[in-house]
Amino acid sequence: MAFQESARARWEEPWETLERLRREMQTRFGPPAWLSAANVYPPINLYDTTDSLVLMAELPGVRHQDLDVSVQGSQVVLRGQRSIEYPEGASAHRRERQAGAFHRSVELPYVVDAEKVEASYQNGVLVLRLPKPGERQRRQIQVRTS
Amino acid sequence: MATSDIPQAQDRKMEPRGKETLEREGTRPGWVFRPDVDIVEMPEEYLVTADLPGVGEDDVQIQLEKGVLTIDALPSVRPDSAWHPVHGEYRVGAYRREFAMSEAIDAEAITARVQDGVLEIRLPKTRRHQPRRIEIARG
Repeated sequence: MAFQESARARWEEPWETLERLRREMQTRFGPPAWLSAANVYPPINLYDTTDSLVLMAELPGVRHQDLDVSVQGSQVVLRGQRSIEYPEGASAHRRERQAGAFHRSVELPYVVDAEKVEASYQNGVLVLRLPKPGERQRRQIQVRTS
Repeated sequence: MATSDIPQAQDRKMEPRGKETLEREGTRPGWVFRPDVDIVEMPEEYLVTADLPGVGEDDVQIQLEKGVLTIDALPSVRPDSAWHPVHGEYRVGAYRREFAMSEAIDAEAITARVQDGVLEIRLPKTRRHQPRRIEIARG
């Protein structure tokens, strides 16, 4: 028999409640219910991989050199800008894409060791792996039965 | 680079905007989104630009048939299915968009590239549809 034992902090509970609600909503109303409306750009998703939280953000058209990511304490800050330019003599038939500056900070439930953060930026998607401090990591405990 | 007719919004703050969903197609699993697109016309070509976050060069299909330009893409940068979602503000899925292109386009000369999740398609007009300078004879 195996069970998950976690050095669980209080911060995990609201998420678990949300997750349970999300599953219920999904069953009743279909998938979009778990989305929370963010009022800031860029929208982010967070995933739990047991030893880390992974933050993903869609930033199409933001060049690598225009993206600034910093971690301080338990706060992750994403800032940058995107500019859209067309050559002289161009006339627009349709303009839906946005340009401008953005600045968003995300508060994590633990202090992040900035040295251990892994960041990648590919195809306009930022992926940040934010390792949890040791005591927050779940341990798998094998229980033997005779 | 100078711009003319196009209003610039460089100093504006970016606003969050949810992805717009297309009608779900019965034959395809998952979500299909309608990406944000710009279409600008230059004397010799059209430039179609689409925001396709997560999409690389191998993830997109472009087709021009009977004057209809179709963009189909499936992002390759996506979360691992083993990860447990704890907070979500956007969904991940396929992108699709179609446009009826008004003027004759030289289909053989179309070029496309993807950079930082943005697809850029250049559609040159056929010679017949490009502006021609008319010399006025001096009398």
